[in-house]
Amino acid sequence: MGTNQSTGIDERLQALLIEALQVPPELVTPDLQFGDLPQWDSMGHMEVMILLESTFGVEINTDTIADLTSSSTIREYLKENGHV
Amino acid sequence: MSELEQHTVLKITPQLDIPTRLVDEVQSRLAYVDEYIDSAEVSASGDSITLRLRRSPDQAREERIQEKVQRVVVSMAKGGIKPKVQILEDHLQRPTPYLDDPNAELIALGEIHQETDGVFTLGPTVTRLIEFFETQFLNLADTFGAVPYRFPTLIPAKYLERVNYFRAFPHSLSFVTHLREDLDVIDDFAKQAACDEHGLNTPDSSFDKIQTLLSPAVCYHLYFALADKPLPNGELTVTAVGNCFRYESINMASLERMWNFTMREVIFVGSKDFVLNNREIARQRMASFFEDIGLAYRVETANDPFFIGEFRKQTAFQSAFQLKYEIRASLPYKNSTLAIGSYNYHQDFFGRHLDITLPDGSPAHTGCVAFGLERTALAFLAQFGPDPNNWPSVVKEAL
Repeated sequence: MGTNQSTGIDERLQALLIEALQVPPELVTPDLQFGDLPQWDSMGHMEVMILLESTFGVEINTDTIADLTSSSTIREYLKENGHV
Repeated sequence: MSELEQHTVLKITPQLDIPTRLVDEVQSRLAYVDEYIDSAEVSASGDSITLRLRRSPDQAREERIQEKVQRVVVSMAKGGIKPKVQILEDHLQRPTPYLDDPNAELIALGEIHQETDGVFTLGPTVTRLIEFFETQFLNLADTFGAVPYRFPTLIPAKYLERVNYFRAFPHSLSFVTHLREDLDVIDDFAKQAACDEHGLNTPDSSFDKIQTLLSPAVCYHLYFALADKPLPNGELTVTAVGNCFRYESINMASLERMWNFTMREVIFVGSKDFVLNNREIARQRMASFFEDIGLAYRVETANDPFFIGEFRKQTAFQSAFQLKYEIRASLPYKNSTLAIGSYNYHQDFFGRHLDITLPDGSPAHTGCVAFGLERTALAFLAQFGPDPNNWPSVVKEAL
């Protein structure tokens, strides 16, 4: 499952965060979390969630919105849902 | 031709069914679709919209209205994330003695006088009742050792821009301006300014660029006063009362939905735990007071009235993080509830945007408990009636 199996989850997640937050690649570090960048505010967070849903097909609800607040938790969530 | 006959009714089937939980929200935003709209109603099932127009539109305008209505529906309802509904207290079934609509009697008694849409003068009984509630809210503030502040009615445009207010709530803004400093402009205004049924007519180019607005909230002023510096001692509790202004178009009605209203707030600034713990303590203390006076109400999750562009995302975010709870008091005469106050947590939004820092350098968290004074009085009067003889003894004795 996934949009591009030839690319690893880390690269795909980084691309997703760059697109959702509209920031240069060097700002998206593996330990980035909500609030670290001005762009990852409430609206930025929802952009991340919406893109997660459309790119990976995972369900986004109020629990996931509250839980997936860092690059590492998103990575783990994607792995748990079959994305490697 | 009577006024009623001049109205045109436009029925619209939304592109997608509006979820029941969003019917009121969508209905209130339809007020801003077109200046012809005099009233808007979304059916309870969410599959039909009825607009009552002040005048008959030509075909092009009707098509534009239809298109904008669909835009509102799609923006607010499509792909919406179901909110997490949490009820912290439910005392709506508490018996209250009054069932009628108090508004007609209050108007007849001279206790409510409407100056224009959403703007009211209040008489002595309602004023004393509001002062009673004010005392209780001040007592709450005292239990936290809150320090008093006074804030202005005006707020600079650049302040609201800094916290993205123009993007989130453009529909409810109230602007302040003045005549340009030019003798000819002032003379022309003095000669020509005159009101008709639509408002004040003035010469073109009379007004200067807008620098200030009427303030939409009390606590913002505190955050701006604390901006761009470390928070002394790392925590602060403040109380203040202030006039607030939120333009609500055709939705303005009685004391339920005013353009100019008053809020008493207790505001917490500090660490996440400091703000969240105090918000919860405030809720528990207010529950005890509401029980003493026998108010029927519920405390439940809520969202701020974001405009359509940010509505879906911001409300989902607020719900996910349980940022807002409203105190919704029973209005027995219409079998509904009215928000009379709220318990709010802003995370570190203001701390980050305004650079308010804690001793460890991290952005401060903020929250507030806010009480709408006129709405609190109205809910009380709706439950106990306008005659003070029928009020709970704890209220009568305090007055």
